Amino acid sequence: MNRGIASSAADAAQNRRSHTKAMLNILEDFVQEKARLESLQEATLNILDDFDVARKNVERAYLQLQAAAEELERSNTELEQFFYVASHDMQEPLRMVANYTELLARRHKDKLDPESEKFVAYIIDGATHMQELIKDLLLYARVGKNQIFGPTDCSAALRSALANLKIAIKESGGDSKVTHGPMPHLTADFSQLVSLFQNLVSNAIKYRRKSVPAAIRIEAKRLRKEWEFSVSDNGIGIDMQYANRLFLPFQRLHTRLEYPGTGIGLAICKKIVAQHGGRIWIESEPGKGTTCRFTIADNLGSREGGAIQ
Amino acid sequence: MIDDDRPIGILIVEDNPGDVDLLRENFKDFKPANKLHVAKDGVEALQYLRRQGSFSEAALPDLIILDLNLPRKNGYEVLAEIKNASDLKRIPLVIFSSSQADENIMKFCASPAVCYLNKPERLDDFAKLLQAIEAFWINSMKLGT
Repeated sequence: MNRGIASSAADAAQNRRSHTKAMLNILEDFVQEKARLESLQEATLNILDDFDVARKNVERAYLQLQAAAEELERSNTELEQFFYVASHDMQEPLRMVANYTELLARRHKDKLDPESEKFVAYIIDGATHMQELIKDLLLYARVGKNQIFGPTDCSAALRSALANLKIAIKESGGDSKVTHGPMPHLTADFSQLVSLFQNLVSNAIKYRRKSVPAAIRIEAKRLRKEWEFSVSDNGIGIDMQYANRLFLPFQRLHTRLEYPGTGIGLAICKKIVAQHGGRIWIESEPGKGTTCRFTIADNLGSREGGAIQ
Repeated sequence: MIDDDRPIGILIVEDNPGDVDLLRENFKDFKPANKLHVAKDGVEALQYLRRQGSFSEAALPDLIILDLNLPRKNGYEVLAEIKNASDLKRIPLVIFSSSQADENIMKFCASPAVCYLNKPERLDDFAKLLQAIEAFWINSMKLGT
């Protein structure tokens, strides 16, 4: 019995110890688990913090971008208005210079020696040239204003351009020929397309070789995602080292006496093509002819696709 | 309507003395004998037309030539006020400007009593301008505006 008591007391002590150990183990597990959960929580909080920082960064970037876009639009509008007002107001003094020089010359017609008459001609020529420059600058600045993109029949645009050039073509000589291949339908601004064809064909007529009848050919070919147009002539050609410069406003290869004009045409063409997401370039050989090529994205795809005769 | 013996009265609303003198120079040859009055801004033009202040004795003009770019009240405002006044709206009016006609102006040009002419860039073009004004004026008289 004693032994039994002793034994059971020992057993009880053993039991308590193992209980305590188990409890301690559980407690240790619990502490570990708590620590794990805490670190997980901290990690989650960190991620949330990071996320919040990232979100705020994105928001800030978005606001900055929005402000920049608004600023750009505002400065564009301001620039356009400035351009218009400046061009318009700059015409006035020039009109005065030209008109009063002429009036002075008219009043003193008999008293002017030949040299003075030449000076008068220079003043008038200077003033009228400046007027042309301002007008062309205004024309250039206006490209893209009020544009309407829609399904456009390129052959109608070309027809309209050629109709506008009827007199120029006629005056270039009876044997001049302007022909064209099939033209596509695509998304474009009709009046810009007319102006583009008109400028290019008008250049081809203007820079013709006097020794041969002008032959001008307009073609369009379908590439993978765009249409490539070409206006080819058999004219005087261009030294290719100057080819890129010609697309800048008022850059010319000839004097105004040789070929009149301000040199805005190809700059306008480049701006029009850029509005249509395309490229424009020149291929030429002096004395043989020039081909001007430009591309326009084919955003109508297969919906209307295909060349229409 | 118009007494054939008296010269027609023309009100020129123009701030640029250079333009006024060019008009004077060229109106010497204008067919109906004429007398020019000049208002140098929009406010003065409307005072003249309403015979206010120093213009109390002024006769209504038979023709108005209106520049658009004017100090104080500009040409657009003057045009709008003229067209809203029953006694003034029938006076033939030439808009005389160096810029292209815009939409604001085009709606007025639909009226037979209004025409739009560009300021000549060259002296020789004044003859054509005067012809156009003469034709416009005679036409307005026929229409009884």
